Amino acid sequence: MNLLSFALRNVSRNRHRSMVTTGAMGFAGMIMILYASLMEGLFVSMERNALAMNLGEIQIHAKGYRDDPDLYTRIANPDKLVKLLQQQGFSATPRLFGFALAAAGSSSAGVQLRGIDIEHEPQVTQIHNHVARGAWLDGKDGKGVVLGRKLARTLAVEVGDELVIVGQAADGAMANALYTVKGVLKSVGEEIDRAGFFMLESSFRDLMGLPKGAHEIVILRTDRKQALALASMQVGTMFPDYEVKNWRALQPLIAEILGMADLNIYIMLVITYIAVAMVVLNAMLMSVFERIREFGVMKAIGFGPAQLFGLVYAETLVQAVVALLMAFTLGVPLSFYFEQHGIDLTNFVSGVSFAGIAFDPIWRAEVTPRAVVSPLITLFMMAAIAVLYPAIKAAVIRPVKAIHYR
Amino acid sequence: MQPSRNLFRTLCVICVLLLSLSVIAQDSSTARAKKILRDIDDLWRGESSYGRFSMHVKTLHYTRSLQMEGWSKGTEQTLMRILRPLKEKGTATLKSGKIIYTYLPRTDRTIRLTSGMMMGSWMGSHFTNDDLVKESRMEEDYIPRIAFEGLRDGRQVILFELKPKPDAAVVWGKLELLVIKKDYLPVYEKYFDEDMKLARTMTFNQVKILAGKPRPSVMRLTPADKPDEYTEFVYESLELNIKLKDNLFSLANLKRY
Repeated sequence: MNLLSFALRNVSRNRHRSMVTTGAMGFAGMIMILYASLMEGLFVSMERNALAMNLGEIQIHAKGYRDDPDLYTRIANPDKLVKLLQQQGFSATPRLFGFALAAAGSSSAGVQLRGIDIEHEPQVTQIHNHVARGAWLDGKDGKGVVLGRKLARTLAVEVGDELVIVGQAADGAMANALYTVKGVLKSVGEEIDRAGFFMLESSFRDLMGLPKGAHEIVILRTDRKQALALASMQVGTMFPDYEVKNWRALQPLIAEILGMADLNIYIMLVITYIAVAMVVLNAMLMSVFERIREFGVMKAIGFGPAQLFGLVYAETLVQAVVALLMAFTLGVPLSFYFEQHGIDLTNFVSGVSFAGIAFDPIWRAEVTPRAVVSPLITLFMMAAIAVLYPAIKAAVIRPVKAIHYR
Repeated sequence: MQPSRNLFRTLCVICVLLLSLSVIAQDSSTARAKKILRDIDDLWRGESSYGRFSMHVKTLHYTRSLQMEGWSKGTEQTLMRILRPLKEKGTATLKSGKIIYTYLPRTDRTIRLTSGMMMGSWMGSHFTNDDLVKESRMEEDYIPRIAFEGLRDGRQVILFELKPKPDAAVVWGKLELLVIKKDYLPVYEKYFDEDMKLARTMTFNQVKILAGKPRPSVMRLTPADKPDEYTEFVYESLELNIKLKDNLFSLANLKRY
């Protein structure tokens, strides 16, 4: 059947209309590929910020610690646990937490002390790469501490300034010590920005009089293909005496927001393509009405309704394929450009966090197969649906009436 | 007509008299209650005071013993300083009005406590910093009522029920104070929270001569939800109504030791 060559000829006959229709579809496709990539980028960076800055993928706590974060509710032998986890192919790091008052000059603020294992922490989180000014903790400098962004502002301290910490040590005594600000973090997330006070594990133990134990062990899968739920079950059976939870259970809100990414992209796709579908519908309807006599003649010389239906469909699909190619060849490089360079929002959203997750001021696209393929498929389907009506219209034409149509 | 009016007037007069009598009676009972409360408040404080005492704290996680000295002037000004152990020697707390400063000799810093730290423990005890700020005289902040008076456990006692005045800055729903009738010395004081649930009990023991009078020398606070824990103050010496220098309660003096 030479329906396709018929269609190609028809499409090229009214070049302007075809170009506008194809162009509209192609342009919409290109924009949607870019939009989907940007949204993917946004959520990937949110997930990265949430997990790689603090949360990790799986956490272990002593039972009851999460309900009542008490200095004494500890994991007894964190080193052994970390070693066991590493043997099972996980990265893991212990952490210590405590609450205290930080004072510098005439300002003071409540802080969350975080005792960091300087050797293991970088295997699990990326926070050491997130220092805005100064440097990250250094194993040799027990007096050096790193502060969250807002905390540094509240205390009005900068790198090199001294501050004093007052709290209650494990033996009831007044814990107090002087520290020097070694670094100030970039925006990481509400909790850390406002109260994060990072110090060496050894300094924490000195200050709080806590020689043993840890409050939290944070775990990262090294094998990303292993399912998260499966991995946390594996860790859970390794340590039945402790509470083991993965980040989706620890932060259901964040998990839910990230889960909404897909929905968000599809809603935008559908809205945009309904507009595109109108254009396609209009263009094809016009081309059908324009050629009613022609169709009448075609029917009179033996074309069946199915063939006419197929013809109109083929014309649209030819244009849709061209539009898809156009969307792909323009949209993908454009998205890759924004993946490389990002959109600098520093002037607009500096320090904004969303549901407690910091928003990276450089918004980068993330070109994933899904971000490219789903706009193309949706575009194709929308065109196919939109042309249904004109195609039926052409198919049910009555030859005599059509020939006399004016 | 005439006699009945007279009768009415007489009745009125009698009523007024009776009413005022009962008011006077109630007044005198309130006055007595207030007087007892004032005396109890003054047992360790007076107009001004200087005392040496030790504090013993026992919690699930630690026990600690401190020797301290303290000065006070009214309820507004207090200075307390750790004498022993050596590790914490010189650590001092100054209360001046509603503000609390802590001096930390190890870092040579004076910290003004923020509102966020008010509910924190004072020197590791069961008292919060807020308790220190809210420290007040019972007769000023509470409306006393004698709930029981008579024989209990072989002693003549008076049980006071104290309800906070509407505008008083107290956190408690009510206090119960048991006092020995003979010498008006306190036996215990029970603190009830706003839901009228017992929150903590302060018991008074070991009466000995302090500042020229018999006074309980041991005070022990037990939180109701942790019956195995306590904070105990043991007075070693006490001087009352002494002359104190005005600059005693100053920031400059806080770090002198």
